[in-house]
Amino acid sequence: MSGRLAPGLVAVAAAAAVPLVAGQHILTALIVALHASYLALAWNVAAGYAGQFSLGHSLFYGIGAYASTMLYLKLGLTPWAGMFAGAAIAGVVGVLLALGVYRYNVRGIFFALVTLGAAEVAKGLADNWDWIKGPVGILLTMKAAPGEFFFLRREPYYYVALAMVVAMLVISLVLERSRLGQHFLAVREDEAAAEASGVDTYRAKTIAIGLSAALTAFAGSFYAQFYLYISPETVFTFEPQLTMMLGTMVGGAGTALGPVLGSVLFSGLGEALRNLPFENTRQVVIGSKLVYAILLIVILIYLPGGLITLGRRRS
Amino acid sequence: MTASRPAHGAGLLAVRGVSKRFGGLQALSNVTFGVGHREIVGIIGPNGAGKTTLFNVITGVYTPDEGDVELRGMKVTGWAPHRICRLGAARTFQIGKPFAALSVLQTVRIGALNRIESMAAATARALEVLELVGLADKREHLGKNLTVIERKRLELARALATGPALLLLDEVAAGLRPNEIQEMITLVRRIAAGGVSVLIIEHVLEAVMRLSARIVVLNYGEVIAEGSPQSLVNDPRVIEAYLGEAYTLA
Amino acid sequence: MTVSSYNARAMIGLDVVLQALLSGFFMGSVYALIAIGFTLVFGVTDIVNFAHGHLVMAAMFVSYFLFKSAHIDPYLSLVIVLPAFFGVGALLYVVVIQRIVEAPHSAHMMVTLGLLLVFENLANLFFGGDLRGITTTYTTSSFMVGPVSVPLARLAAAVVSLLAVGALSVFLGRTSLGKAIRAAANNREGAALVGVNVPRVYLVSFSLGTMAAALAGAVIVPFSLVSPFVGHEFILKAFVIAVLGGLGSVGGALAGGLLIGFVEALSSLYISASLGNAIVFAILIAVLLYRPWGIFGQAKV
Repeated sequence: MSGRLAPGLVAVAAAAAVPLVAGQHILTALIVALHASYLALAWNVAAGYAGQFSLGHSLFYGIGAYASTMLYLKLGLTPWAGMFAGAAIAGVVGVLLALGVYRYNVRGIFFALVTLGAAEVAKGLADNWDWIKGPVGILLTMKAAPGEFFFLRREPYYYVALAMVVAMLVISLVLERSRLGQHFLAVREDEAAAEASGVDTYRAKTIAIGLSAALTAFAGSFYAQFYLYISPETVFTFEPQLTMMLGTMVGGAGTALGPVLGSVLFSGLGEALRNLPFENTRQVVIGSKLVYAILLIVILIYLPGGLITLGRRRS
Repeated sequence: MTASRPAHGAGLLAVRGVSKRFGGLQALSNVTFGVGHREIVGIIGPNGAGKTTLFNVITGVYTPDEGDVELRGMKVTGWAPHRICRLGAARTFQIGKPFAALSVLQTVRIGALNRIESMAAATARALEVLELVGLADKREHLGKNLTVIERKRLELARALATGPALLLLDEVAAGLRPNEIQEMITLVRRIAAGGVSVLIIEHVLEAVMRLSARIVVLNYGEVIAEGSPQSLVNDPRVIEAYLGEAYTLA
Repeated sequence: MTVSSYNARAMIGLDVVLQALLSGFFMGSVYALIAIGFTLVFGVTDIVNFAHGHLVMAAMFVSYFLFKSAHIDPYLSLVIVLPAFFGVGALLYVVVIQRIVEAPHSAHMMVTLGLLLVFENLANLFFGGDLRGITTTYTTSSFMVGPVSVPLARLAAAVVSLLAVGALSVFLGRTSLGKAIRAAANNREGAALVGVNVPRVYLVSFSLGTMAAALAGAVIVPFSLVSPFVGHEFILKAFVIAVLGGLGSVGGALAGGLLIGFVEALSSLYISASLGNAIVFAILIAVLLYRPWGIFGQAKV
């Protein structure tokens, strides 16, 4: 680990220096890439480390987005704090969901479908909840106030996103080296053997979901403060889920750097392409999505451990 | 065997009147026996006799329909497997279950984490156990890349690392060559000498005969005989169970 | 929490309800066909094909263009569409699916999601994102049966769907290949031991499932709008129906499809579509937790 600390710090320092040279457009692409990386790392906690392949993480993303937004609109609470409230709510929802679902020993595709169902239920309810303006969504009009998590320029958003990714990387690395993290791995590999080794699998899975949920919610709040418009169609749909999964699975599930690698590749490049002056931008963007989809399939078949395995040697 | 008969050598594990049914199949019927401290007890019986089901009941994977399991004086019937492991019973799986994508060291360390909170101490303990079973030089190998005998040793190490008072071994000798069986017997003896009681399911009769102080014979989910290896070799009930009535010696 | 109120909460007459039931029956039959293709693949190969709904979409586009360019009626185009999509299914199986059959479920989900994205972006690239429809001679035709109006296009779609379901049942129950498929679905190793060519069975099942999706797509084009994004709705319905009916059960998928058709049609009279959707998914969750073998299935010991 210490051997990787130095290059890691250099990378962070380099990343921190980027705004000195990059224009607003490039920064936007980088922010999207960082946001996607963060999301992938958050999903990775449950899916990559603990093997709980959830298809419903948009539920937690949406909770984060709406919680911080509603707390700001109704109580004037700064989104910096609202973010944490959103994470707490999402964490509780995640834990309750897990407690209810794991009681019935739901696994694999059934578990995935339950989580998908949960996200769809949330979306349906959100569409019909007048208090949060239903399908119309909420447009955030904010004064340029750093204290309220709103900035006119991209640089501050970039630093926040960078900080979130770095924090998430630290959390992942600490988790990997912790007893809880080892329990996650055991659950992922073989639940029966894990139980037989003294691992409380019910508790471990529940913590995995709750932790992952809370972390995902932070990204939802960031989204709200960055794009300033949220609606069930934008935060409770499959889009964020797809982003998390693609980045993680392509980069390498169950590793710390894999999700970042995959997300930078997919989301970052995609966003960059969107901003370059092509003849027919739309075609290029869709074409790139097509290429990524094919790439995804190829990687999953021939490099199931993800792109990160290209850089490693394993006995 | 009637349930009122006191379990032999009971002190560590007591199985009393355990029955378990799956749909139309009565897998276990009124099984009663015990394992004492520092004892090696063997369980034998033809295929389908219910041996692994019995292990699953003892370790909490199944809850018996009737009867009780007591471990270290506590009733553990219906407990979740991880609690029973915490209390002191660890089992190996018949179909070797290494954590495929994890290293040998990681696998054993997960077992060590049962009693040890600190990762550093658990790692140290895991390395000790790996030395004992002879897998120390393979510690960075992934579970899926091990040979058959290595997997068996890994299973043993994983279970041992949990710090059990009772080790339940499910067919550790199956599929091994004669010299490997000898190695396994020596290893189990060494573990038992360290104070761990062993309950061993075995088909390889040589192994179970040489290891066990006492053997329990199961057939069709019932205990049909119990005693020392020598006394059972000529027991007509045992011979009949394995070979069928036609071969009962006069 | 308040539900957005609708004026239609005023008196709803019997004829409106009957109309809804009929509509539900028609769409339910098509949903059943879509779900059956999906559940067949899962029952046999244990693979959940997330791209199944997009196969329906692909067939819709093909029928759409055959009509727009060569004036071939969607029902006539089936002569081309069905074998073509059987081939597409076979191709997909050989190139992609067979390589992940042994992989964990997460790989199945991700790879078929990848296929979903391929289809969606291909369609988007070539046809654009707008909703399109065709108008055949019978698109708006209907006849009255009592107080209820029977739209011809939907009736035809339902009839063809039900016939296809029947044909599939006969195929699975009476032909040797069909029995081989059922055997492999039931017990892969056992079937292989008695001489069933399991890889071929997998190939045929996947191709049949694809073809069923294509049939559904072609018959709904006369009365539905198509865009690259309509596949999402179909796969979500397929999930719900297949789970309700018992994953792998053809009869269950039929019953489930009709049930969902009715539920969708009736609930649209009283509540918003999105709320109805939420309720359907809540039911899905309940079934997955309490009766994962389906409402119409049987628990396995």
